[in-house]
Amino acid sequence: MSTDTAIAGPADQTDANRSRRIFLGIIIVATLAFPLLQVFFGGFSYWLHMALFLYMNIAIASSWNIIGGFAGYISLGHNVFFAIGGYSAAILFAYFGVSPFIAFPLCGLISMGFGFIIGMMTLRTRGPTFIISTIALVLLAKILLDNWDYIGGSNGISLPLLDMPVEYVKLPFYYAMLAIAAGSVFLGYSVRRWKFGLGLRAISQDETKAEVAGIPTRFYKTLAFALSGLFIGMAGALWGYYLTYLSPAIFLTILVGAKFVLMTILGGRGTISGPIVGAIIFISANEFFVAQFGATELNIVATGVLLLLVLMFFPEGIVGTLKRNGKLPAILDWD
Amino acid sequence: MPHLVVKDVVAGYGSGPDILTGLSLDVEEGKSYCIVGPNGAGKSTLLKAICGLVNIRNGTIDFEGETLLGLRADQVLQRGICFVPQDRSLFPDMTVRENLRMGGYILKDRNEVERRIDEVFEMFPILKERASQHAKTMSGGQQQQLLLGRALVLRPKVVMLDEPSLGLAPKVSKQIFDSMNQLKDAGITIIVVEQNARMGLGYCDWGCVLDLGKLVFEGASRTVLDDPRMAELYLGTRRTGSEK
Repeated sequence: MSTDTAIAGPADQTDANRSRRIFLGIIIVATLAFPLLQVFFGGFSYWLHMALFLYMNIAIASSWNIIGGFAGYISLGHNVFFAIGGYSAAILFAYFGVSPFIAFPLCGLISMGFGFIIGMMTLRTRGPTFIISTIALVLLAKILLDNWDYIGGSNGISLPLLDMPVEYVKLPFYYAMLAIAAGSVFLGYSVRRWKFGLGLRAISQDETKAEVAGIPTRFYKTLAFALSGLFIGMAGALWGYYLTYLSPAIFLTILVGAKFVLMTILGGRGTISGPIVGAIIFISANEFFVAQFGATELNIVATGVLLLLVLMFFPEGIVGTLKRNGKLPAILDWD
Repeated sequence: MPHLVVKDVVAGYGSGPDILTGLSLDVEEGKSYCIVGPNGAGKSTLLKAICGLVNIRNGTIDFEGETLLGLRADQVLQRGICFVPQDRSLFPDMTVRENLRMGGYILKDRNEVERRIDEVFEMFPILKERASQHAKTMSGGQQQQLLLGRALVLRPKVVMLDEPSLGLAPKVSKQIFDSMNQLKDAGITIIVVEQNARMGLGYCDWGCVLDLGKLVFEGASRTVLDDPRMAELYLGTRRTGSEK
């Protein structure tokens, strides 16, 4: 809570809560009703695609925020959870006939389980060593999947299209991704309020102090790492099915992992609304630059320049900086 | 009867050399102890060894008849020993209320924590006024009140402070030691490591002088302060260990 909030009276707080509730109500109605445009009028397929892609990235950024924002451990390897979710769903579908729409919660749990095991190993390190260990994790996972013939190796694995009329095929993905994004944001919101969240924030500020305050830092970090893989795994499960094709190259490049981090930092890590704002700006900007510069890689350069400019003026991310300066609109102050 | 007994402790960091080289110390309940000694004597390491942040290579540390060996810092805290590292242990980017909650972090009953925080607010109204303000934005004196409030939330049996006056103006340092005495008056045992021997010993009941990882001598603070061996030790004219 900012200093300004501290001196705000109860009436101001009530107004802020009311405006937040109204804003949230409008967002919920709008996102739920949006696909009706496609159903009744058609021609919104591209926008449905963009919306579900955005929801997926909101889920990813909000999840990453648990370990990278609250606990302060920068992981460049969270795309491994994305791949674990995707490939778990693909195996369950291709070999056991379980639809990803049924299996995606299980795929999230599988990612979380792997997160716990990986976390126990990588979180023995701190700072730059931890970051490097997460990059090594991506490279290791890619080598493993590239050479695992059961799931197609480096050639990847194809999945059948969802058996629906083509104009409606995106709708189930849209609502599923929306649910995953909502779940991920709600998890972040809850963690922020739990005693566990207070412990993570203490770890991010000073791990030794946190330890002497009575926090089992090792267990908390590992749990945060695992929890941050839950919804990313679910998103990966549905994204692979949506693409109808999975290969290690789709999930396991350094650029994919870096994107997760950049979105969150852009919006403001450690805040609730920051990852959402970051994902919206990042995806919109990237899409705009892709449209402008086509298949050249200039869009990456342009997105990078935009990020630099934003972070120059908003060093703690957009939400984080506005909050620090007491200029964050009440509708975005969910912390 | 002492309630904290450190006996022949040998300890060091990682695979490095021994910092504590057979240190023994008895701490009695409700008294305040000032640990002094030249740089590298092992003062801070002693506190870290007690609270489980340094591996003990030999010797024993018992608290109220039970060993502390092999316990993590959070487990030592659960037994009532609170360690305040250098730089006053506040979380600068947390609010005053959150810092107070951190003080009672190991308590399971959240309502009890909030009740204790309300008691702290009654004792220090300025903290209530600034409950939603980040700790880093408060003055040195206010941060000290917050630190004291944090210790009161936990109601520990022993508070160990590592150089609490480091980098502070004399007036603020005095406030710290006044706060420390308030804790002692509440029945809490105090162990403070202090570079400013005159100030530290001036406030504590008992002085313990360390050198080369051992207790060199100890006694009532006034006698320690006036002991000619203090001057010798600080001026570097004698660097041997075993005399007590």
